[in-house]
Amino acid sequence: MAATESRTARWLLIAAALGFLGIFLFLPLVAVFAEALEKGVGAYMAAIVEPDALAAIRLTLLVAAISVPVNILFGVSAAWAITKFDFPGKSLLITFIDLPFSVSPVVSGLIFVLLFGAHGWFGAWFAERDIQIIFAVPGIVLATVFVTFPFVARELIPLMTEQGRDDEEAALSLGASGWQTFWHVTLPNIRWGLLYGVLLCNARAMGEFGAVSVVSGHIRGLTNTMPLHVEILYNEYNFVAAFAVASLLALLALVTLVLKSIVEWRFNYHHRGTGH
Amino acid sequence: MSIRLENISKRFGAFTALGDVSLEARPGEFLALLGPSGSGKTTLLRIMAGLEFPDCGRVSFDGEDVTGLKVADRHVGFVFQHYALFRHMTVAENIAFGLNVRRRRDRPTRSAIDARVQELLDLVQLGSLGHRYPAQLSGGQRQRVALARALAVDPKLLLLDEPFGALDARVRKDLRRWLRELHDRMGLTSIFVTHDQEEALELADRVVVMDHGVIEQVATPLHIYNEPASAFVFDFVGESNRVPVVVARGKVLYLGQPLDVPAIGADGPSELFFRPHDAEIVKSDTGAIPALVAQVRPKGAGVRVEGKFIGIDRPFEIDVAAEDAPEPGRIIALKPGHPRLFPTHTHEDQA
Repeated sequence: MAATESRTARWLLIAAALGFLGIFLFLPLVAVFAEALEKGVGAYMAAIVEPDALAAIRLTLLVAAISVPVNILFGVSAAWAITKFDFPGKSLLITFIDLPFSVSPVVSGLIFVLLFGAHGWFGAWFAERDIQIIFAVPGIVLATVFVTFPFVARELIPLMTEQGRDDEEAALSLGASGWQTFWHVTLPNIRWGLLYGVLLCNARAMGEFGAVSVVSGHIRGLTNTMPLHVEILYNEYNFVAAFAVASLLALLALVTLVLKSIVEWRFNYHHRGTGH
Repeated sequence: MSIRLENISKRFGAFTALGDVSLEARPGEFLALLGPSGSGKTTLLRIMAGLEFPDCGRVSFDGEDVTGLKVADRHVGFVFQHYALFRHMTVAENIAFGLNVRRRRDRPTRSAIDARVQELLDLVQLGSLGHRYPAQLSGGQRQRVALARALAVDPKLLLLDEPFGALDARVRKDLRRWLRELHDRMGLTSIFVTHDQEEALELADRVVVMDHGVIEQVATPLHIYNEPASAFVFDFVGESNRVPVVVARGKVLYLGQPLDVPAIGADGPSELFFRPHDAEIVKSDTGAIPALVAQVRPKGAGVRVEGKFIGIDRPFEIDVAAEDAPEPGRIIALKPGHPRLFPTHTHEDQA
């Protein structure tokens, strides 16, 4: 009796989970591609090679190309500092790393308008020097860096805490310098976790809408990233073009997912393989 | 190499890990730091290595002050409790690490490094396992790789943190003997941390017994075992029986009755200690301690008798010859041999 009941329950749960996934994740994904290809491959390609779309793609790649390395640098140093040293203000730093996750992206964008906008705190100083930050590429990069900076650090801190300091101390005791220790011991130990964090960071950097929307100014061909471009096209009832560009973002998500699964598999394999 | 520690103190926040510790290891000596967890033994070892720095005090190697030197500049071999092998490197790469990270002008040639690695692999009896990864080795093998890696840089001082702690009993015993031989052959000065008194007594030239951040006694294993300097040392380095007594006018009184033991020690409330194998079951109960037998079990050539002292609620254990074994439930008279008296520290008992 009990066994059959639990079996029914199990199938119900699996069906519910799969049904939910189907309706809320798989169906929209299919819809994006179906809509994008509604008027044929020709219309799809035309929407993508259109100059404004290409500009948006270029800008998105540029923003990701800047913010991902910046966040690798920041994330690794923050995780290193937090897990390998004791210093005052450590728990405060940990809390602050989570800040971009806990505030709405719109607020994140507004922070930069407030700081660097025409009437912002540093706005006048930059205006004098003819440097535009808000409604220009630097503002978009800043907002993206801010929104995506927890990904790498969040991934590394638990991993490096678990690994402890023994390996580093062993390397130092063998005469290695701090840099050699990082390069030959720490980095190989965290590489899969780091790669995982970078993937998530990249996906978010390319897909960020809210914060970027506030600081971008939506100037076509100049300050439109792909998500913003999609919105503009959609608002113009240009559905095929909107979904064509959106499909590129969806494709990015799928590629990220596949890579993420591969990394996760490698990561677990390595983790299990070296357990004591 | 000789190592000298003078008046070392170390605090972690409110916790005093070491309070004014001084110690010296002679060249070629094999020293054990023995104590329970929290006694400060590992902290002391890490201070010698330069992995931790004392709040005050001085560390010197061969008379040279190294207190401010970092671990990388001290040229000591350090073996970590959990080996800390680099998991992404092969065994050979692990061993070569200390040579490979040297500055170019100090670095041996590739073939010289390879030769040295093979030499060390042979030394630790892992000759053909150089291409394996640490995950593919057993605990004892990992331990030996960690040792080979530490020895690759030709340290004069070898420091080992609980070197056998993570191994099973059998492997532990083999490795212990092997390490002692290695130490003698290479002419190292070695210091190891352990909480296992058997290990310390079997392996070391001298044993340093620590408790609560201070050194209780430094002596040879035989001396430590036979002449413990304090109640703590007596209790920690071997099995012991203890009964409360009062020393007065050259007599040792147990529950008001004089015991047939020499009253060496100051007058006043004391604890009388004796080892299980030093006790004797006697016929006459004058001058002996009455005890109730609960269990008799085989132990070595004889038997281990367990039960409780009568009159006080404390357990006893003694070893006697099999033919002298009493029946469980019997009351026997115990005469302690080689007893030691230590004054009772009432304030400590309350704490």
